[in-house]
Amino acid sequence: MSTTIPEAKLRRRGRLSRFDLKASPYIYIAPFFIVFAVMGLFPLLYTIFLSTRQWNTMSGDGGLACAMGDKQVSGTGCPNGRDWFGNFAWALGQPDFYTALRNTIAIFALSSLPQLVIAIIVAYLLSSNLRAKTFWRMGVLFPYIIAPMSAGIIFRMIFADQTGTINTVLGWFGIGPIGWHSDTFASWIAVSSIVNFRWTGYNTLVLLAAMQAVPHETLEAAVIDGASRFKQLTSVILPMIRPTLIFVIITSVIGGLQIFDEPQMYTVGPGYGGNSNQWLTLTQFMWKTGFVSTNASNMGRAAAISWMLFLVVVAFGILSYILTSRMASGDAPKPKKSAKTNKEVAR
Amino acid sequence: MRNVGIKKTAAIGAVLVAASMALTGCGNNTGGDTDSSSSTGSSTGAEIVLTINTFNNFGFEKSTDTAPGADLYQKYMDEHPNITIESTVSATSNDARSAFNTALGTGSGAFDIQAVEIDWMPSLLANADKLVDLSDTIPADRYQAWKSASATTADGKLIGAGTDIGPEGICYRSDLFAKAGLPTDRDEVAALLKGDWAHYFEVGKQFADANTGAYWFDSFAGIWQGMVNQMTEAYVSSDDESIIATDNADVKAAFDLLTAQGAQSAGLGQWSDDWSAAMKSDTGFATMLCPAWIVNNVKGGAGEDFVGWDIADVFPSGYDDSKGGGNWGGSYLVVPEQSENKEEAMKLVEWLTAPEQQVATFTAASNYPSAVDAQSDTAVTGKTDAFLNDAPVGQIFGSRAEAVTVVPYKGGAYFDINDALVKNLNTIDVDKTAAAADAWTTWVSAVGAL
Repeated sequence: MSTTIPEAKLRRRGRLSRFDLKASPYIYIAPFFIVFAVMGLFPLLYTIFLSTRQWNTMSGDGGLACAMGDKQVSGTGCPNGRDWFGNFAWALGQPDFYTALRNTIAIFALSSLPQLVIAIIVAYLLSSNLRAKTFWRMGVLFPYIIAPMSAGIIFRMIFADQTGTINTVLGWFGIGPIGWHSDTFASWIAVSSIVNFRWTGYNTLVLLAAMQAVPHETLEAAVIDGASRFKQLTSVILPMIRPTLIFVIITSVIGGLQIFDEPQMYTVGPGYGGNSNQWLTLTQFMWKTGFVSTNASNMGRAAAISWMLFLVVVAFGILSYILTSRMASGDAPKPKKSAKTNKEVAR
Repeated sequence: MRNVGIKKTAAIGAVLVAASMALTGCGNNTGGDTDSSSSTGSSTGAEIVLTINTFNNFGFEKSTDTAPGADLYQKYMDEHPNITIESTVSATSNDARSAFNTALGTGSGAFDIQAVEIDWMPSLLANADKLVDLSDTIPADRYQAWKSASATTADGKLIGAGTDIGPEGICYRSDLFAKAGLPTDRDEVAALLKGDWAHYFEVGKQFADANTGAYWFDSFAGIWQGMVNQMTEAYVSSDDESIIATDNADVKAAFDLLTAQGAQSAGLGQWSDDWSAAMKSDTGFATMLCPAWIVNNVKGGAGEDFVGWDIADVFPSGYDDSKGGGNWGGSYLVVPEQSENKEEAMKLVEWLTAPEQQVATFTAASNYPSAVDAQSDTAVTGKTDAFLNDAPVGQIFGSRAEAVTVVPYKGGAYFDINDALVKNLNTIDVDKTAAAADAWTTWVSAVGAL
């Protein structure tokens, strides 16, 4: 009799602890996923719905998206009938879309690649023994804590076409002014330098943290083996911080392809993205389509553009993931080389 | 793979969100292109916070070096201890407009009071249900008739309370005029410039021939505003709202006349840093179209102490000498329906746009009143401006306001069409990447895609 009660208690306790064991982890991580479902997943799915609708930003839902066709679609009504993919067809029919795509990829390439290389080098330099370490490390992060808008205003002054710092200095050396706001390539350089200014320090710090975690023994072994500083970086440190490297690259791909603040702040006057769309990015194009015009703002089309941007980001994300894995994983060609040299030595 | 992608995006997203939250802490004070300055009331029992967004310079704020103002918010808060006014000022009307459209479109995020430019009015009238009717709050005859008419729907709803109007004179640099051997006295300059646009450019040619190193006017975009605001129907037909922009012979004629004057234009993007800097430069520009409110910008660009700017009581009379003066811009205050403090916001709008406050604004800054009683006030008619060589600006803008003969019909698509045209004028004038004919073609196709 007296034994049955503890047994039941035990069973209950057992059940509780089993529940605790199995469910707790999920409960602990639940807040993030709940927030994500509300802030991320729902908008994601709702954007799919939106992208199929003829949705004027001011007046709201107007049924299924208008089909593109011979007749011009404007204002109310769909003269060419309706189509699930009408908004996608519209976007793909806009020359501005391709200009924006080109600009986005170009600015991304001009910012992310140099950023990564500089970040690796600076992080490596910072990881060596320096006086006043904290000062240098904080200094690198400083641009990151400047509000993007302030950075934009500062750079707009630096890159002003006639009175800007750079063109003034170039003028001293008799070099003609560069059309920072008129020449397409120059405007890309300008916009990506704002991006680089802001994000290089951040990436440096992340990489630095990873480099600090590389075991001293391994590095010492490399030094004893006679590896140069450069060799230590490429053959020991980089392979060892690969997960961090992948993180940095993927984040900068995603961030880089979605840039909005920098090109927006770089714009002067009415021409968002430049008078002939020199630095119009996809996010700017999406925003213009969805919000800028009072009459013709179209949420559906903006949603369609954002989905295509999503696909571009995913494609680049996968590509860079594959490339990084290749780059840092096996040093695949190297064993062959060393095998060859071994053979040569043997001969 | 897709699944993995999403998870990764999510994780990274979380990092970015956290990062941006950390950033906004630092970013609050500099809301982008907007200089935000919140003026906290002196009262302790503040119960209602009213947010207001203006652009450029409305003259409501406390005076600063670059933006003169009448400090009206503080006065209102002193009179109404339970009200706190939080004001943000966007650098250009375009910035303010896109943010306002976003707020109207999404149904949230609008300010309690929004300043809107006259050019936005047609498209706002089409969405009048999103804005509060002010016709019971604002006396109907307070403003010049056309000012109220531009903000009234067909069924009599008044969506905007007028602040200022933009009667245009011509501002000129007397130092550059002297250098070029042109008269410098403002009456003589008025006599010299009397005529149509072609005449204005002929005098420009004289100025250019004198080789002073400066240009005749600031930009195509600026002159265009003067030209287009003299057209009764520029882009949209008042009969059926159809778009006539690209077939309108007036538009084409004005475009051709203007784009032939490339040598006279300083080629500066309006509102750019270069544009402001050129206002005090010897190699800047000698004249600019001068609606009352732009004097604030000129002051800001040249500096209050700069000597040289003056204003003449004259304006080109259309491109075929058939028009009088011109009005460029001028604004309204509107209250969005989504505001949570509609009643209080309406009271503040009523107060800010009342004649007494308009007089104060014009006296402190240069925004010429739209209220009839304010225009005839002696403080307005008697105002002289030291910056403009003590010109009797009250008299001059009064005379310029009377000279306005055309109230243009703009239509809902006006802003988008005009924006596209200004962009293309800039490609010729500022970027110098397009020939006039190409820019016209680009604009025609842009209008077709609207």
